[in-house]
Order: sequence, then structure tokens, then C-alpha cells
Amino acid sequence: MLTTVALILAAAILALLAVGMGYVLGWANRRFHVEVDPKVEAVLGALPGANCGGCGFVGCAAYAEAVAKGDADINQCAPGGRSCAEKLAEIMGVELEESLPYRAVLHCSADWDQRLQRMQYEGEQTCESANLVAGVQGCTYGCLGLGDCERACDYDAIRIINGLATIDKEKCVGCGACGRACPRNIITMVPFKAERMLVVACANQDAAADVRAVCAVGCLGCRACLRVAPDLISMEGALPVINYDNYDPTDETIEKVLEKCPRKRLVFVGKPSEEHLAAVAEEELPESVQADFKTTVDDTKWRG
Amino acid sequence: METVTSLILIFIGAALINNFVLHYFVGICPFLGVSRRVDTAFGMGCAVTFVISIAALLNWTFTYFILRPGAVVPAWVWQTAGGDPATQVDLSVLSYIIYIFVIASSVQFVEMYVRKFFPPLYRSFGVFLPLITTNCAILFACLEIMKHLQDPTKLWGLHEALALALGGGVGFTLAISLMAGIREELDLCDVPGPLKGAGIALIVAGILAMAFMGFMGVDKGVAGALGSLLR
Amino acid sequence: MSQEGPTVLEGPTALEGPTALERFINGVLPENPVYRQLLGMCPVLAVTNGMKPAMTMAAATAFVLICANIMISVMRGLLKPHLRILVFTLTIATFVTIADRFLAAYVYEMSKQLGPYVPLIIVNCLIISRCEICASKQSITVALADAVGMSLGFALALASIATVREILGSGSWFGLAVLPGSWPGWGIMVLPPGAFLTLGLLLGMAEWASRRRAAKLRGSG
Repeated sequence: MLTTVALILAAAILALLAVGMGYVLGWANRRFHVEVDPKVEAVLGALPGANCGGCGFVGCAAYAEAVAKGDADINQCAPGGRSCAEKLAEIMGVELEESLPYRAVLHCSADWDQRLQRMQYEGEQTCESANLVAGVQGCTYGCLGLGDCERACDYDAIRIINGLATIDKEKCVGCGACGRACPRNIITMVPFKAERMLVVACANQDAAADVRAVCAVGCLGCRACLRVAPDLISMEGALPVINYDNYDPTDETIEKVLEKCPRKRLVFVGKPSEEHLAAVAEEELPESVQADFKTTVDDTKWRG
Repeated sequence: METVTSLILIFIGAALINNFVLHYFVGICPFLGVSRRVDTAFGMGCAVTFVISIAALLNWTFTYFILRPGAVVPAWVWQTAGGDPATQVDLSVLSYIIYIFVIASSVQFVEMYVRKFFPPLYRSFGVFLPLITTNCAILFACLEIMKHLQDPTKLWGLHEALALALGGGVGFTLAISLMAGIREELDLCDVPGPLKGAGIALIVAGILAMAFMGFMGVDKGVAGALGSLLR
Repeated sequence: MSQEGPTVLEGPTALEGPTALERFINGVLPENPVYRQLLGMCPVLAVTNGMKPAMTMAAATAFVLICANIMISVMRGLLKPHLRILVFTLTIATFVTIADRFLAAYVYEMSKQLGPYVPLIIVNCLIISRCEICASKQSITVALADAVGMSLGFALALASIATVREILGSGSWFGLAVLPGSWPGWGIMVLPPGAFLTLGLLLGMAEWASRRRAAKLRGSG
């Protein structure tokens, strides 16, 4: 009798609980229903889903929401590129304006041998840590070559070759991760209005004498470029800065600026030209060196 | 006054001395998974505290009135069915099923409610809520409460159950926030390759557990202090 | 390259995934639930202060995992997508209740020692994850093989940690003294910090071993 009553009671309680909770949840589902815009789903589907943050939002979901609400432009997804922007334009029913691919550019061009006053750095082999320590190399603006940007890139577009971060423009999608990773902020995003763009390959704002002491190739701030193209170039300290809004790829002054630079620090970056490719056709691709440190303490020296 | 003392002791016991994560090993999965940044960790901790309290409330009610030996509802049914008053209908075998069902349903309900009425709150910790359904810590709190509802002479009231639940949640939040702070610093350290990630996190948790062992005996001290204070 | 007609797919088709035997072998070491998937940590840390509680827990988990996998696999046609986690959890809760009552009836002391950790098998991420990934989509034989493999892997993990903790902590193994009486017995090993430290170091060792294997495969290939 005890067992029967217990069984019936147990079954009744479970059944009541299930039905009761079912009712409550069903009511809650209707009462607390949140309208989800179907456009958000559609936009999210069109995005590449890499969650890189290049659009300025926390993830693809956040960007999709903003686009569906109309708070964001449809051409902000760099990895998605033009095809993605076109799809978004279709979904949102707007016109697609001309949008330019933004690609990463490093404002430094000195490799290990060209950097002067380099010290033997035995600390954490990351740029962020080396940046905190004084005296790792002479130039306090330039590339440290320890690879924070290389590790930040999900698209294998940036490699440290001979101590200098080198960007492969074909692989770069313009997400901006390397720019965010660089503790010296010398990687910027440049709109590529043509296949090859003129950039200032130096970040050192100090006067000529100081630059000569720390770098064999750095910009001296002689202002020769400024005199040739005053609308294109402005000075920040003793460093020229190119205004890319005024940059017209067909303008001849750009070639002239390139010629006038005594240090040859105004260079073209982008898709290599035929002559460049032919010149290096015989050479082997340099190996990407990964830091293989077993310990940060050099145990061959007795420190007594 | 004794109630207040005992409530404070239960709370401190659950939060510090017998910390849910570092002493009882419950809630390890979110502890290792969500503790990379302090703000997400704190959000997770708050969500867990919130859910634990609601679950404790509902499950204490169920256990007190239906599931413990000698509970009111089965006793009344047994009596009306004409059963022998010496024996009892003990439904405690249903405990685990009912606890988990109640936890899952209440978490779902809370998630829907928060999503509708507090969107910014939902964005900050709403995503953790479905994760918490299978969190050991919630079920563990309910099991502890059930343990204290077995002896008919020393039954825990709702206030004691809530003190345990809140203490457990606060303890979990404390542990996970500490862990997140440490892990943020660990990112800049030279951790040996094989230990990166879960390995070093567990070793750090071990050291934290050792630190929390220092709280043993604090309850006696607090009881003594409160006793003399309230006399 | 000449076109010879449609390509013949070798081995299991893309839809079926690993076979039953492969799943069984996978569960033991390659996808070990504790060392590789990092699931089910709570009991691993809690009950491994001795071999006996560890093996009891392993047996209980094996019972629940196998039964739940079989049950879910039988029911897989009836599962509604938004209710499936709830169904998994309730099925697992039923089997855990059975296991818990069985242990309380036949090994009462051990059941007391294991305490709340047997009911916590309900929320063991491992079982829910296997139900979700395997049992709800595969036939009964495959689900069974998967469950047995994972249970063996789990038992192996529990045994490894419990061995270290028990030998260093009490100088015994399965209750039998293996170290001389002069062994001081590292108390920390049987306390919570010891659990964390042991698991962390063993995880590191497992990771190191798998990296060496991967490097060897890369080096020779």
C-alpha cells in the first residue's frame, strides 16, 4: 500500500510539475517575446564571421545589429571586402558607394643591421615587453622586430624578416589586428587608391642629428618632400605625414616626391611591379624565424 | 540574535572557509573557462549568484513541503488514503530529478525575463545563463540545503538556505574574479609551453586554494566575536 | 587527368563520421575527456584523494554514461531541438538516482565518502556533451561504443590522478601501504590544493607528450 501510494504520488507530482512549468514557460515565451529583426539574421549570414573586430564592433553579431538598425555603414567589413558590402547593400536596400580597401602599412624600414645602438635584450621576447624597457634599440619610434604583429595576424600576412615586420599586401585583409597589437603604433591602415601607394617608411619624429645616431636609414626631416608637394604632405615634428584624402594616384608630384627624398624613405608599397618581381625571381623566400626560447635566462654565463 | 549569528556564520562558511570552487570543487568548468578577463568573470559570478539564490529558494520550498521525509504534502495524502501514521511516504528519491528540472526551467524563465526587460543587463551576462544551468555549483547548493532538511529536529529555514546560497555565490564570484585578475597578469609571463592555458590555471587555482585554507577556524573567531558583541 | 566517373568514397562517408570502433578507441586516449577535452573536472578533483573512491566514481559515471547514451539513442527520433538539453538532463538524472541509491544500499561507507559528488554526475559536462554530440545523432551500437570508450578514458584519468595523490599523500594505493611507514605523507596532496596542483601538472605532462608526438609526425612527414 505504501509503495502504491508513493508511486502514484510521485508520478502525480512529476506530472503536475511538468505541466505547470510547461504552462509557465509557454506563457513567458509569449509575454517576454523579443522581436528579432530578420534583417539581422540576413546580415549576419552575409558577413564572413571572422569576429576580427576590424569594423570597430565587438564581433560580427554586433556589427550585424548595427547595420540592421542603420547605425553603421555597410562597407566597414574589411575581410568581407567588396563582395560582402554588395550583399549587405542588397539586404538593406541601399546604394553601395565606392569604398576603398584599407591595408596595413608599417612606418619603419630598418632591419637589424640598420638599427644602431641595439642592446642585447634578454627579457620577454614580445614587442610589448621590450617597449617597456629603455634602451633595447636606439630608435624609440621604430619597429622592434619581436613579432607581436605577426602573432596577431590571423591571415599570415605579416612576417618578421631580418628584424623588420614585412606585410604581404595580397594576404592582408585590412582587419587592423596588427595595428592594434603594435605597442609603438607604427602600423597604420592606408586606403589603397591604386595598386601601389606612396608611404612614409619611417616613424622617427626627432631632428636629423638624433636620427642619424640611432638609425642608418631613418627620415632626417629635411622637408624636401614638403617643398615638392605641400598639399599632400604635412609635418609632425621632423616627420612627414601623407594626407591620403588628397592623394591622387595619377598626380606626377608623387613620383617627384619619391625622387627628392635624400634618404629614400618615401617608398611605394603594394603590389610588386614586374621589374621588382623579375629582380628577385632567383632568390629564395627568407624563412620566418619563430622565437624558440627555452628559457629567458641565458644559463651559459655565470652571473655570480 | 542567535539566528543572526548563525546566518552570518553560514554565509562566511560558504563564501570563504568552504569556498565552493576552491574547497568543494564545484563550478570548475566556468572557473577555468570564463576567467580570462576580470569583467567577464565578474559578470559570470553575478549571474551565478543570482541563479543560485533563485534555485535555492524554489528548491527549498519543494524539499520542505514535498520531498523530505515527513513532509506535509505526502503526509496529508497518506493520511487521507488511510495509511498507518507510523510509516511515512518518503519522496526524497525524486530530489535530483526535480532539482535539475526546477533549475533548468527557472534559468530559462529568468533569461527570457532579463532579455525582455533589461537588454543592457542581458548583453552583459545573459549569454552566461544557459551555461549556468549545468553548473555544478547550483545543484551543489541545492544538495547542501537538502542535507540540512533530512533531520526533522534540526531543519533549516528559508533564511538559512538563502544565506548558504548567497554565500556560495559570493564565494564563487570572489574566486573567479581573483583568478581572472591573476590570469590577466599571466598573459605577460613566460609560461612553459605545455602548461599554457588550463595547466597553469589549475596550478594557480591550487595556490589560491592553499591561500583560502588560511580561513579555517575563522568561523570560531567570528562566532566568538559576534557572541560577545551581541551580549 | 582522365575522368573515370564518380569518385568512390573510402571508409566512413562524410555523413556517418567515425565508426563505432574508432569512437571507442578515440575515447580512451586521443580524445580523453579529462586530458584533451577538459570536461568533467569537478569529480576528477573531488574524489581522487584515494583510488577506491576514484574507481567507485568511475564505475558510477560509466553506468550513467552508458545507460544515458543508449536511452537517448533509442529516443533520438522524438527529440525536439529546443527541448533536447532538458530531456538529456532528466534522463541522466534518473540514471544517477538509480546509481546513487544502489551505492547507498551496497557500499554505504563509500557512498557517504563520495557524498554530494555522485548526484553531481548529473551536471557532469562530459555526459551531456556525449549525449549531444553522439547519442542524439547515431545508432545504438555507435553510441554504446562511444560511451564505453569515454568511460574507459575517464576511469584512466581518474586512476592516474588518484594514484599520484594517494601514494604521495598517504603512502598507500587502494588502501594497501606501498611506501614504507617512514614516508611523512604529503598532507597537501589529499587536500584541495593538492588536487589542483596534481591535475595542472599532469595536464602539462599530457600536453607535452602530445606536442612531442605532433612534432615527431611533422618532422618525419
